[in-house]
Amino acid sequence: MISISSLENIHQKGLFGNYEGKDENELITISEIKNLLIVQIVKYKKSVFSINNINIEGIKLPNETLKVNCNNNLRILWCGPDNWLLISTNKELLNDINKLFNSNDFAVTDLSHSRTVIELVGKNAKEILKKGCPFDFDNLQKNNCVNSVFNGITITIDMLNDNPNKIRLFSLRSFGESFYHSVTDACLEDGFKAI
Amino acid sequence: MLHIKCPHCGLRSQNEFAYGGDASVKRPELNKEVSDKEWNHFVYLRKSLRGKHLELWHHISGCRQWIKVQRDTATHEIFKTFKASEEI
Repeated sequence: MISISSLENIHQKGLFGNYEGKDENELITISEIKNLLIVQIVKYKKSVFSINNINIEGIKLPNETLKVNCNNNLRILWCGPDNWLLISTNKELLNDINKLFNSNDFAVTDLSHSRTVIELVGKNAKEILKKGCPFDFDNLQKNNCVNSVFNGITITIDMLNDNPNKIRLFSLRSFGESFYHSVTDACLEDGFKAI
Repeated sequence: MLHIKCPHCGLRSQNEFAYGGDASVKRPELNKEVSDKEWNHFVYLRKSLRGKHLELWHHISGCRQWIKVQRDTATHEIFKTFKASEEI
């Protein structure tokens, strides 16, 4: 199946905004991340199955707010009680996941084609998000995630690194273009580099 | 702007929540005979209290859980929040 990027027509590479006279390496970079496996896992309310027994490539499901359990190519985000988002670069993992999670206890949904993923990298990445999102970003550390809103658009924020700040943003694909414009508008003041 | 402490996620802005109405309304028991008047009361009639009020809120842009919030409708002070399954 041919995968068409949700930002195909609007994400253009280059320097934008108030970038003149600034070191290019200091600018925020914005990129679209494609070809990720994104899977939502939800445990049914009536299920008594213990999640402690579950191990995906050596990683357990996190069970506390903001928590992300990860290795080099797999991240499992806590999205709510008994609700996780699994992000991986290995698309073959979906078969293993379907085998691992019993359909009587869990709902496993492949969301890979229904999300737009934008990555912000730079020391001001949190400041950009503060312009449209009410979350207290000073509390967001490396390997934390949060569901919130950005200018009215529901998003998932995944903090991959803190030196420099590297933040992945997930929105519904149908909101992708609006969300991209919203983020890039917030970046204009500092200038940004689209890659 | 309110800040609501979600029992699952912690303190969050009202922007992430959707109001869900009076939390003190009890649905008539299943399989019990209900008069039209009782049903009408359950579906439509609500008090418009000034003061302490128990409300349902949905953390729609967060953990997507329903929660109960005890709030003063005059001052907007929030006294306590609960999981939807918890009783006071």
